[in-house]
Amino acid sequence: MEKTKDILFDWRLHLSVLVITVIAEAVGVIAVPIGIGSILLLPLLYAFVMGLILNPNVISKMKGWMGQREVRAASPLIVIAIMPFIAKFGTIIGPSMEKIIAAGPALILQELGNLGTILLAFPIAVLLLGMGREAVGATFSVAREPNIAIIADKYGLKSPEGAGVMGVYVIGTLFGTFIFAILASLLATSGWFSIEALAMACGIGSGSMMAACSGALTHAVPAMEEQILALAGASNVLTYATGLYLCIFVALPVTEKLYDLLGRKEPATNNAGE
Amino acid sequence: MSTAELPVDYEAEAKPDLAEHAVLLLVVSLVALVGNTVATDATVLQGLAGLAVLYVIAMVGLVLTYVVPLKLPSVAWISLVGILVTLPWTPGSAWVLDKVSHVNFLTLATPCLAYAGIAITNREISIAKSSGWKIFIVAVFVMTGTYVGSAIIADLFL
Repeated sequence: MEKTKDILFDWRLHLSVLVITVIAEAVGVIAVPIGIGSILLLPLLYAFVMGLILNPNVISKMKGWMGQREVRAASPLIVIAIMPFIAKFGTIIGPSMEKIIAAGPALILQELGNLGTILLAFPIAVLLLGMGREAVGATFSVAREPNIAIIADKYGLKSPEGAGVMGVYVIGTLFGTFIFAILASLLATSGWFSIEALAMACGIGSGSMMAACSGALTHAVPAMEEQILALAGASNVLTYATGLYLCIFVALPVTEKLYDLLGRKEPATNNAGE
Repeated sequence: MSTAELPVDYEAEAKPDLAEHAVLLLVVSLVALVGNTVATDATVLQGLAGLAVLYVIAMVGLVLTYVVPLKLPSVAWISLVGILVTLPWTPGSAWVLDKVSHVNFLTLATPCLAYAGIAITNREISIAKSSGWKIFIVAVFVMTGTYVGSAIIADLFL
């Protein structure tokens, strides 16, 4: 397979990532205090920004260093680069198994909290912003790869629902790590929720978002690091396993029903995102 | 940009086989080793031993993804292997834990995000631009919704 060999031997790509990693880790974590708490800037966030800066699609001057070949090559590397991280997370969950089993009911039931996307975002999308059927695709889930697959399968990605899910997917890809790092650090310092609950909520079903979320939590409450990581990791594994089914059998049908109740009655004609 | 530029395409199209996975995983592990040496007090040898153990866990997980007919993402298998080898009643778990303790978990995510930044395609940028501010607001509430929703339910049952 010539294509995969390309990816393998693309030294510019790997060298860039190496340099980015060294710079990001050398800078380290920076805490920015604001009103109700503090926002933690993590090396992985700088790494993403530096990656964007080197991306020729973002900064066209970078074409001298990297082309579409590198951009294309970077995609499969995202999943591979997260694997050592996921393995390390497994080794954090294992020793804490007794604590996780003790938290079992909360851990399993909080998976239903992923329906909070519909509860919070759907009314805003439909009633406040007047969105059409895009809202169904945009709000039924947190719009990661498995959720895109569901929408692609049911409506096709060129449909309004497809535009909705792709829109949130892209925003999540661009800003998700920042948003979860900010949410987690603010809520951890606000004292509104127990840290264990916030840790479980970090299991979103995306490795990088979980990393940003649990990383921010551990820096806010360093004394609870082991527990935070174990609960976040366990919750994330649970989301990998249950997320798809929760979406197919609960989230999407519920969103559809809500759209029948609250949505535009006439068929939406504008096909946003196309 | 053609439709082959869909952001999900790395799952469907450029699927490295097991041997290619093994080599690519080696490359990212080396990047992670350098990152770990910069970020922590661990020596290169300590980091190397830790990453070698994580490498083996990831490879076993990958092999399971290929072999077991149950459809689960490779990351799910890798987590399960990581969990199983470090359960308190698993023989040798203390040794594994000692080795991986020199690797910082958050540092391992840094190279991944660097690749993610480089992987943003023209198509994705044009989607973000054309979807506009409405989809941005909705996306922020989608993420806040899943996070706060899960935290509320977890808090009720803890």
